[in-house]
Amino acid sequence: MSKIKIYLQPTPVRIWHWLNALGIITLCITAVQIRFPEHVHLFASYKSAILLHNVAGLVVTFSFSLWFVYYAVISRSLFKVYLPSKDDLEHGLARQAKFYLLTYFLGWKNPHHATPDNKFNPMQKSAYLAIMFILVPLVSLTGLLLTNVSPMRDLVLLVGGLKILIALHFLLACCLCAFLFTHVYLATLGKTPLEHIKPMWTGWEEEEETEESPRHAA
Amino acid sequence: MKTRVTNKIIMLSVNILFVTLTPALAFAMDSGACLDCHGDAGVVGDKLVIEALGFDSTAHAELGCHSCHASITADHPDDGLPPSRAGCAECHDPVSREYAASLHAENAGCSDCHNPHRALGPTAVSGHDMNRQCMACHDRPDMVALHGEWLPQADLHISMLPCITCHSSSAEYVISLYLIKRQGGQYPGGLELASHAELSAIAGGRPIEQLIDRNADNYVSLAELRMFNLDPENKQLRLQGMITPEGVSHDFRSRDDRWDCSFCHASGPAARQVSFLSLVEPDGSFKRVAVEQGAVLDALYGTPDFYMVGSTRSTALNYVGLVILAGGLVMPIGHGTLRILTRKNRRHEEK
Repeated sequence: MSKIKIYLQPTPVRIWHWLNALGIITLCITAVQIRFPEHVHLFASYKSAILLHNVAGLVVTFSFSLWFVYYAVISRSLFKVYLPSKDDLEHGLARQAKFYLLTYFLGWKNPHHATPDNKFNPMQKSAYLAIMFILVPLVSLTGLLLTNVSPMRDLVLLVGGLKILIALHFLLACCLCAFLFTHVYLATLGKTPLEHIKPMWTGWEEEEETEESPRHAA
Repeated sequence: MKTRVTNKIIMLSVNILFVTLTPALAFAMDSGACLDCHGDAGVVGDKLVIEALGFDSTAHAELGCHSCHASITADHPDDGLPPSRAGCAECHDPVSREYAASLHAENAGCSDCHNPHRALGPTAVSGHDMNRQCMACHDRPDMVALHGEWLPQADLHISMLPCITCHSSSAEYVISLYLIKRQGGQYPGGLELASHAELSAIAGGRPIEQLIDRNADNYVSLAELRMFNLDPENKQLRLQGMITPEGVSHDFRSRDDRWDCSFCHASGPAARQVSFLSLVEPDGSFKRVAVEQGAVLDALYGTPDFYMVGSTRSTALNYVGLVILAGGLVMPIGHGTLRILTRKNRRHEEK
């Protein structure tokens, strides 16, 4: 069977992804020192941890905007890529869950085949929908409020106060970090551990040619 | 013989007591007489008027007017003699010497910051009033801009901290909680210290401390704080927390440990246990009611507007966060283990 190359991840998406990755990892590391400063001394001073956290937060917020503009305005495929279809909800989720939890261990093939128009399996779509449309915007917004408490005091009070804002930011960030562990692990579930990671760096995925192979593959 | 000596000692003691107390009694009487005129701006003018309500709660009032204005005679003001003024150092010598050695002394004398007729101890002055004293010379916008060159959220820090928290070397600091109110329904902003009259009106005749201290035991529990913050009847009021010094030094130097934020933010929850509810009195001074230890560390409703990043984190939330993170590791660890155990199945051609 011959191998073909598919251009799966366009440049803006890859820039967004790695900017996001760098930003989120920086946020997680600095957050540990910010929350537990008497125990963690990774950065020279408390202030440097705060400043780096704030800058990384802005980078993630900016890269989120890049992602949104690319999918919503340029490629106009935001909902197509991220919104699970009726079939995904009725059968796809169960099929994919069955693969991850059972048939993967038996050596069966992944029921989802990634194409530029249908990059994500139904579980990915559902997870990314929650993450990109709820978690990331909420963490970014709560973070922006927390870095500008004085000028946005009334908005902070509208949320219920600083403590509720902090609790929201902290717990949502924990959810994102928890997702990160799962995300990185699942990315290694290809035939080789780097099979799914390479396309996010180069843009191209190598796969065996089938009848379903996309026409615009290189 | 023994009786005679005893009698002499008693007589001597009575004499000493008489000599000590007579001036004090006289001054106490005089203060009232002085305020008959000096309590009325219509009689002495705005420059010489003394607000009796505010003066009465000061330690200076207990000493009486003559303690500082000793030259005043019974014929004042008809005698035409200018009243003498005691120097602050006469009583406050150690503080005066400490202040004289500071850089600040070149620019301001004692009375530039302290009105001797309104002099209160640091715990009887609100953090807001402390800052008002500083900002009489140090313009707030200038200070926000100056601190903003190195301090994140300088505006917030200057609003939530008396200047002397960082610029003096008090040995102890506590969290003071003040009742603030939105003035005139003003949005945005407008949140300012509520006056005693405003709080009395809201309390509906009860003592104002009972707005929070519901069982009137002169102690605010965490449960009472939560009830206050969740009660819709109190929606126009909020509790604002400030880190205030217990005693104030007058050297006015910036402490080194304040530059890197470690003093407040890296001190850990153990250092943020003590807090007080600071309630305004009719004369504008403040009295304190003790608050349950560690109440400001409550996750959500103990003090919803007071949070010091790093040192008032909630332990309960830490555990919830840990459970969430552990949930994220279930897939890599659980699935990963099974993946290793079943790796032989994937060496064959996929089904």
